[in-house]
Amino acid sequence: MDPLSWGEILVQIFIRFTPVWIALLTLFVVSIFYKRKLGLYGKLFDSPIGMVGFALVMFWVFTAIFADLIMTHDPLFQVSGMKNKVPGTPMSSTAEEGMFTHYLLGGDNLARDVFSRMVLGSRVVLLIAPLATLFAFMVGITLGLPAGYYGGTLDTVLSFLANLVLAFPVILLFYLLVTPEIVLTGLPTFMAMFLFVFPLVFLVILFNSRYFTQTTKRNVLVATVLIVGGSLYLSTISQPGTPVNFLPPGLDMFNIESGILIVFVSVVFVNSPTVFRIVRGLVLDIKTRDYVAAGQTRGEGPWYIMLWEILPNARGPLIVDFCLRIGYTTILLGTLGFFGLGLSSESPDWGSTINAGRRLLSVFPHPAIAPALALMSLVLGLNLLADGLREESLKD
Amino acid sequence: MSKLDYDGPILEIDKLSISFFTRLREIPAVMDFSVTVRPGEAMGLVGESGCGKSTVALGVMQDLGVNGRIVGGTIKFKGRDLAEMSDEELRDVRGNEIAMIYQEPMASLNPAMRIGKQLMEVPMIHEGVGEKEAYDRALEVVTDVKLPDPARILNSFPHQLSGGQQQRIVIAMALMSKPSLLILDEPTTALDVTVEAAVVELVKDLGEKYGTSMLFISHNLGLVLETCDRISVMYSGEAVETGSIGDVFDKMQHPYTQALFRSIPLPGADKNARPLVAIPGNFPLPHERPPGCNFGPRCDYFEDGLCNENKAIPMYPVEGDDRHDTRCLKFQEIDWNAPMEVSDSKEKAEPGQVVLKMDNLKKYYEVAASALFGGKNKKVVKANETLSFEARESETLAIVGESGCGKSTFAKVLMGLETATDGQILLDNNSIQDIPIESRDTKTISNVQMVFQNPFDTLNPSMTVGRQIIRALEIFGVGDTEEARKQRMLELLDLVKLPREFAGRMPRQLSGGQKQRVGIARAFAGDARIVVADEPVSALDVSVQAAVTDLLMEIQRENKTTLLFISHDLSIVRYLSDRVMVMYLGHVVELGSTDQVFAPPYHPYTEALLSAVPIADTKVEKQHIVLEGDIPSAMNPPSGCPFQTRCRWKSEVPGGLCEKEVPPVRVLDAGHQVKCHLSDEILDRMEPVIKVAAE
Repeated sequence: MDPLSWGEILVQIFIRFTPVWIALLTLFVVSIFYKRKLGLYGKLFDSPIGMVGFALVMFWVFTAIFADLIMTHDPLFQVSGMKNKVPGTPMSSTAEEGMFTHYLLGGDNLARDVFSRMVLGSRVVLLIAPLATLFAFMVGITLGLPAGYYGGTLDTVLSFLANLVLAFPVILLFYLLVTPEIVLTGLPTFMAMFLFVFPLVFLVILFNSRYFTQTTKRNVLVATVLIVGGSLYLSTISQPGTPVNFLPPGLDMFNIESGILIVFVSVVFVNSPTVFRIVRGLVLDIKTRDYVAAGQTRGEGPWYIMLWEILPNARGPLIVDFCLRIGYTTILLGTLGFFGLGLSSESPDWGSTINAGRRLLSVFPHPAIAPALALMSLVLGLNLLADGLREESLKD
Repeated sequence: MSKLDYDGPILEIDKLSISFFTRLREIPAVMDFSVTVRPGEAMGLVGESGCGKSTVALGVMQDLGVNGRIVGGTIKFKGRDLAEMSDEELRDVRGNEIAMIYQEPMASLNPAMRIGKQLMEVPMIHEGVGEKEAYDRALEVVTDVKLPDPARILNSFPHQLSGGQQQRIVIAMALMSKPSLLILDEPTTALDVTVEAAVVELVKDLGEKYGTSMLFISHNLGLVLETCDRISVMYSGEAVETGSIGDVFDKMQHPYTQALFRSIPLPGADKNARPLVAIPGNFPLPHERPPGCNFGPRCDYFEDGLCNENKAIPMYPVEGDDRHDTRCLKFQEIDWNAPMEVSDSKEKAEPGQVVLKMDNLKKYYEVAASALFGGKNKKVVKANETLSFEARESETLAIVGESGCGKSTFAKVLMGLETATDGQILLDNNSIQDIPIESRDTKTISNVQMVFQNPFDTLNPSMTVGRQIIRALEIFGVGDTEEARKQRMLELLDLVKLPREFAGRMPRQLSGGQKQRVGIARAFAGDARIVVADEPVSALDVSVQAAVTDLLMEIQRENKTTLLFISHDLSIVRYLSDRVMVMYLGHVVELGSTDQVFAPPYHPYTEALLSAVPIADTKVEKQHIVLEGDIPSAMNPPSGCPFQTRCRWKSEVPGGLCEKEVPPVRVLDAGHQVKCHLSDEILDRMEPVIKVAAE
């Protein structure tokens, strides 16, 4: 078979992404049709910048969802004779029957399909980055609210700790966390224990403060959170082979690969102080409003005021920051992968593949360029989306 | 460019129309607006918020932003059309020949630049004079605006000055280049009453001294009466009546002007015998204006087929008056002298037994000099000093004072947000002064509730109106089921006269007055017996104020509520309160029934306060008392009597007693007490501040 020209490669890639195009088109048509009824999300479709950003982000989200349909090859499968082949190379004769006829974006130094790895990599990135950001927000919000609301010594202590973490060099911290000796002491697991408890605390306080006047409703909600969240929490932190391993195997629902756990913990750890500072600043402003005083004078508890009166009104800046922060986290994941920290070397995530590709960059640039472009477009999309949201939320 | 000699009108606005363009539509902000300002004349522009008065000012400055555009008419300044000037010419005119003073003084000054530098910039940029001369001019102007120690002021930063001083600096800056036209956009709204009176007098004097024409924008009719020669009343983007002060105030020719005057508490209005008449309905949104007359749907004289015919209504000159125009089709038919229809006068509610008793309440704050390391240098701020009074069932007690007088601290202590330093608060003979709000039982909390000042702040913007009231019901333990609470919430909406559909609305969909009604409904959710109303109407438009005040009075009559009405507006206090307490720097300086406080003998501070409040009635003659200086800081109060630094009667007390001792509380008549050293003889000599001339 003949190698494909660049035009043909692009056409083929375009065809492979068909499910994504269909999903994007449907989403946009429906959203634009109903945009006046969709609040801030609908307003996004009035801003060209926001629309472009949203399209880029959703492109990768849909890619992650439909990755199995889009991939042309098994991303871990090596085909002999395809090592470092340029994009558009037809499959070598050793290939099995029924395989896709070409490596669309060439092969990497282990003769795996670059295109398929890039597509599957989106799944890893889009799973870890938003989730880690969400956890960072949970930690930052749960600590930032009381720091801003109560002020005084609590604020001084928490702000000092946040500054301490911020002042610590990130890369050094990561290196420390993955050092085998440190992993053996169980430090990452203990940090996970500490950081992952925040969402649980957050949700329990959230429901308790709101519904404590209606005991039954409160009990049901809090119990649900505690049982579901609690078992998830215990399963997450209990890992065989670490100092924290207390659940019998039957109750331990899942184990997270220790590499991913460490990446997750470090990303949450370095992001939460920044979120803390943003939340604290917003609370300092909003707590002077009369509706907060109204809550106080009718005898509301402090947590109700923080979570139900203040937090919803701080959502605008927080949503924007959330988008931007997913971008940072994605880059951070890439950086970590690039340093060979965290995820396993086989992982198709973009950071690791860029790192793997860099050694032969001057001879065979394509294995590194494809994931680099993917990473760039996602971060760009998130930034544009955040810009669009900020711009539209200010307009009326 | 030199300032040309020109003796025609300074400013001629002819059929000006300004629109703002938004994503969805064009919003006309000003339509067919004409006004002429002659040299040395002060023109008042009055109207409710959203009527377009500030837009006119921005139009004159040619500063409408990206969305705004002049869509018709001309603005001529000294005969030159501003729209045809180049950017460079405009820059030369702005700040040099037209100066503008804004509402918030701190926002108009650069916080990182010394006052002197900011003032010197004006002549250095516009006239290119040297630094030395500019400094001399700055010194002269600062002396002109009556600031003490001008050299020191020039060398200080804006944050080192008080609000009143800052506004004086802004005025000084505007006068630096001796402009021909001065635009003042609500220049005193952010200031205290006594400071406002001093600033207004200053503006008036300077206008005369420099011969400057003025365009004075305000929502306060009384203020315009005191400062201006002519007035233009605006409603919903149009001027509805223009004329001299005398003509418009006494011979008004437009129903809106009339309705406006009937809705403000002038001396003589009384909550029982002659209640205020609120203007029915709501201000139309700019894109939902009715056909024909904009005021039509709210007008008493509305005539179907005439007033709502879809045709623009021009200004009609009123014959016999000097440049007096009205935008009313029926002004010649309406009998303007017909007496106001007195709506059903109400029974005065008799005060019942004592519900709340304060006894020698004290609240001190300890303030560390610096937050981290100031362990030793603690200063004590005496926010409330020996507060004693009683409040009875279904009584309205007004608490009057300017900022820093301790009225908010008092409210906090009463609500339990702070605990008292000393003294007692008795609620139904139970002392509650030491119980913080967390430890109070639900009954006590729901008994004492509060209505807040700022309608835009009082409701949580991200919760529906119904939800917020239901939350209060939940907290107060009203109703056993969700259904019962919902029912009660709808009843509360009925109580404050809001349609039941509002339960599902978000606060941003409500007007200021409607939000304030929701705030009142929320306060009454647990059948409150004592309601602290912290300036509940001061942020509302005049026509809405009357309606909200009436609502409060009505609920009070029905529920026998004790109302503690905190306000600085003496007109409204006189209108609705039974007793008045005047506070100054944490002290109660005078306490008595409304009649006692509003008639001599006064405490010297009450006297000054009464004189400072602008009254929109040409028949009222006021004694002119202007207080010197600013309110002292509570951190560093004067020795002896707190008011001695500004008191004009101080010389009447022998032996410098005022500076040495805090005066004792003296009971003059039954229930009338004053904290002053003045002898009875001098107190008896005092004359009434406000005299209504016989008609």
